[in-house]
Amino acid sequence: MNNKEAVKDPFEEKISNLKSEDLRKALQIFKEKINYDYAAFLNTCVHCGLCAESCHYHLTYKDLKSLPAYKLNLVIKVFKKNFSQTGKRISRWVGAEELNHHVVKEWIDSLFGRCTLCGRCALNCTMGINIPYIIRTGRSALAAIDLVPPGLQSTVDTALRSGNNMGIPKEDWLETIEWLEEELQQDVSDSKARLPLDEKGAGMLYTINPREAMFFPLSISAAGKIFYAAGESWTFSSDYYDVTNYGLYSGDDEAAGIMSEHLIMSMKKLRCHTLVLAECGHGFNSNRWEAPEWLSRKYGFEVKSILQIVADYIRVGRIDLDPSRNKKIVTLHDPCNLVRLGGIVEEQRYILKHATANFVEMTPNREKNYCCGGGGGQLAMTLFTERRLKVGKIKADQIRSTGAKVVATPCHNCIDQLMELNKHYKLGVEIKTVCEIAADALVINKKKTNTFHSLLSS
Amino acid sequence: MPEIETKGKKIRVNEEGFLVNPEEWDEEIADLLAKEEEGIDALTEDHWAVINYIRSYYLEKNLAPMVRKICKTTGFQLKYIFELFPSGPAKGACKLAGLPKPDGCV
Repeated sequence: MNNKEAVKDPFEEKISNLKSEDLRKALQIFKEKINYDYAAFLNTCVHCGLCAESCHYHLTYKDLKSLPAYKLNLVIKVFKKNFSQTGKRISRWVGAEELNHHVVKEWIDSLFGRCTLCGRCALNCTMGINIPYIIRTGRSALAAIDLVPPGLQSTVDTALRSGNNMGIPKEDWLETIEWLEEELQQDVSDSKARLPLDEKGAGMLYTINPREAMFFPLSISAAGKIFYAAGESWTFSSDYYDVTNYGLYSGDDEAAGIMSEHLIMSMKKLRCHTLVLAECGHGFNSNRWEAPEWLSRKYGFEVKSILQIVADYIRVGRIDLDPSRNKKIVTLHDPCNLVRLGGIVEEQRYILKHATANFVEMTPNREKNYCCGGGGGQLAMTLFTERRLKVGKIKADQIRSTGAKVVATPCHNCIDQLMELNKHYKLGVEIKTVCEIAADALVINKKKTNTFHSLLSS
Repeated sequence: MPEIETKGKKIRVNEEGFLVNPEEWDEEIADLLAKEEEGIDALTEDHWAVINYIRSYYLEKNLAPMVRKICKTTGFQLKYIFELFPSGPAKGACKLAGLPKPDGCV
């Protein structure tokens, strides 16, 4: 393939056509985001450089532009120019700069193109600066003037327009559930096995990542099979069922709020008590932690990851697993949004230890794990594909050194990036969700299933 | 933006190899993408059954078909679709059928 700049890129054109009122608008949004905590963060960086070794971009490129403190400084210099006396009066001396065309370009290239918002730098920051939060506010300012890179913006637009981020029409979603329900009935030899839809008063509403229904339905079957074995009272919703929220990545709080509101509408409609989030890192972070902030109100229901649910089933003996059914060596990739930023750390390990005969950790792991490189919306922003694959080498090397044949990860975004790394770096591994592996080990005990089922439906 | 070349014609693709202008697609492009992107030397009749269905569905609805529809129409099992296109229905089959990159986590 050649890399000739034959035709002017429409996104590039949009940047060069920026007017001064656009820049003022972006600045306004930026200013609105600044509160005391934030201002303290922006005055705190002591340039110790510890963040360098924590960032997968810096470890890969070893250049200044990939340094978290440098990316942070891109935001700090605009803050200084607008909020500090020295920044206003002696801008050059203190490195203050107004949000101009040049800075906007740098913001896009760095805040969108050299960061997955994985938070590993913040974990290692001596001053405890929430770097990804600050990077995201820069993204918010760019989102306000329609400068979110294509792919990421279109994913947000599709979710707002159609209610799910892949634009799946309702009849296709229903047809897919019907199909998967038939498959489940054959799989467990029970014509009464169901993938319930719009069941009012069911205990749990289960959400999915639309890519599961669209292209990778085995993970839906796996969750359905586990719910069946546990005799759970649960349901899908026919309208809003999408666990993803790309507003987290684009920085657009208003769009993010609308998407979170969608799931609340399904919860209200079906009167469920627990919103169960599928294996989706950013979907967990968005819906479990961020959404009440975006909406400025608390939920009136519980929000849990499917991993918490499945781990509980195992703990109380509600499902039985036979680890000898998964003999291959299995390792685990920790999705940043679920683990480091979401707090779900041990549940996936607990499940895998009960569902597999040979589980090995990669190093480092848990909250210290490296991002796969596909987070922060990178997977959607094709503009930065080359970087995404390059920084993914750290993850590829981590996987290779475990000797594992299967990589489990509770995040569909990570799965897609790992599938690409698998191909690009010739890892020769299978990539699965945690529920898929648990479902493979599931021993169906009809008596148990029926007991829980009748207990919960009475 | 990158380009691929077939029969002396230059076709624009995005950084992941998806066509920028899906209307430029033809069978030679599918062959080329199969080699370059999927490592498939020669597309078989079964590959074409999937590609042609995805292509015609897209032209009609401006949308990629769900994998359910692909299985139902071609009569192939899900597992076989993944054998045919190792990168899966999105980055494998849809890319070869000249569709733009789908939105979402793909």
